Amino acid sequence: MISNPYLNRREFLTGTLATGAAVAATAWPAVNALARGAAKDKKNLVIDSHAHLSFRASPADEGDEAAVLDAADKLGIDQLCCSILPKRPATVEGFQAANRVMAAAHKRHPDRFLGYCFVNPGCGRAALEEIRRCLDLPGFIGVKLYNEHFCTDPIVFPVIELAIERRVPILHHAGHSHYPVKEQPNMSDGGHLAELAKRYPEARLICAHIGGGGDWEWTIKALRHAKSVYLDTSGSVTDEAMIDMAVKVLTVDRLLFGCDMSWTAGIGKIRAARLSAEDRRKLLGGNMQRLLALRRRQG
Amino acid sequence: MIIDTNAYLGAYAFRHLRHNTADGLLELMDAKGIAKAWVSSAAAITHRNVQPANEELAEAVRRHRDRFIPLAVINPFYAGWRDDLAACKEQLGMKGLQLYPNWHNYSLADKCCLDLVDAATALRMPITIPLRVEDYRQRSWLVDVKDLSLAEIVPLIRAKPQARFVLLNGAGYTASPLGQKNNGLPANYWIEISRLSALMANEIGKLVEALGPDCIVFGTGMPFNAPDPSLMKIQVLQMNRKDKDRICWENAAALMR
Repeated sequence: MISNPYLNRREFLTGTLATGAAVAATAWPAVNALARGAAKDKKNLVIDSHAHLSFRASPADEGDEAAVLDAADKLGIDQLCCSILPKRPATVEGFQAANRVMAAAHKRHPDRFLGYCFVNPGCGRAALEEIRRCLDLPGFIGVKLYNEHFCTDPIVFPVIELAIERRVPILHHAGHSHYPVKEQPNMSDGGHLAELAKRYPEARLICAHIGGGGDWEWTIKALRHAKSVYLDTSGSVTDEAMIDMAVKVLTVDRLLFGCDMSWTAGIGKIRAARLSAEDRRKLLGGNMQRLLALRRRQG
Repeated sequence: MIIDTNAYLGAYAFRHLRHNTADGLLELMDAKGIAKAWVSSAAAITHRNVQPANEELAEAVRRHRDRFIPLAVINPFYAGWRDDLAACKEQLGMKGLQLYPNWHNYSLADKCCLDLVDAATALRMPITIPLRVEDYRQRSWLVDVKDLSLAEIVPLIRAKPQARFVLLNGAGYTASPLGQKNNGLPANYWIEISRLSALMANEIGKLVEALGPDCIVFGTGMPFNAPDPSLMKIQVLQMNRKDKDRICWENAAALMR
């Protein structure tokens, strides 16, 4: 019987809690927080593949960056792949402003914040120009798409093709409800992403937040045969067995750790999963590192 | 020590659950360092006549009463609820009551519900109210049961000052009178943490500041939910050991005395 549920910061980060099976039994990797000046071990980074920073008008405004980093520090997250979402449906001015803030956040914290360029694909040429502009800047690693259009809408295809050309992943908002979602009539789901992957097998698609998008069992099954689609584990839902089913059906190599700002939910569900130490390392950062390295290697 | 005020045994109608037998849940509790759990029947959430599910629960925990504290699920809108409540208390040794108004087709303001609250209070049973069972976005096509709103809870809290309510699977309290200082409400309710944030917005910290640590209780929602996220909340909370002890087990233990 464990009598002490508490641990200090060092124990938490290194997974050496003497009395807490909740932590110690899971072979939690040592954390290598770059910004804290700890010894760098780039092999074992913990990378949140689905994070956000708050929208603000001025790139000089640091917004919630310190609070996000504080949460990440407490949970041992080394890097956060963030997007900033303006009011939606996003206008050209809106997503340009958001991406400017993202660029500034990366500049302030280059070892911690990586950026997805967020666009509304319905903005056509302006969206493509924005993606090109961002991907030429330091710190941008991919494209984020939301719910303005289904991902299978031809209006989205030029964005997918540009991401393929630039060899970057596309993180796509997704969810599957058995009821119409009035607020998000064009929300894609795992089935849409699987269909898109058939059309563009070379695209690096990430289906967003298995824990934030409705019936996760449906989503996992819908993605089973779409081998090129990754699934991120973020979201507030912490249903028992969610990650284990995703590993069983999709394999761990297709899963990317994420929180989507649901911090303890994000880390807690990974800690709960029945994973070997090597699989846990892959899920927490190894897979995302591999995905990002494809661009560098081929570029 | 940790006491989980939000745990379940049995089958749920819309999703396969692991660890939903007594032995299975004990195994999970042991792995996670959870000493005791308040448990109720997951099957009773969707059954019309809940009493066989209560009986099944009582049998499941019979050999483990040092670890499990069973709660009766009672539907006051169904015939014979007074008999069921009495049997749960006197014959089955149930220590508390759990309510599912939206699943069982009644309102917290209905007279039948108020009568049940009175009856449970007379039996010194704390009353747990899950504001949801699962995330609303993943609900089955067969049923469309909405989450209970905090606004529905407030009048009940006010109307029954002698009762003791434990609110499970809720969030957003800080925007409700329930989570605010000097709210004029009786100190007859406790808030469970499984859906509350501990970082950034830090709703747990704000509730402790507004209501004090005596009003917060630990809970996971297992085996619907993995227990780890709730355990991590306790770990990252910036709080002294004494207050963590209150949240982790002392408040829950006092409720069952």
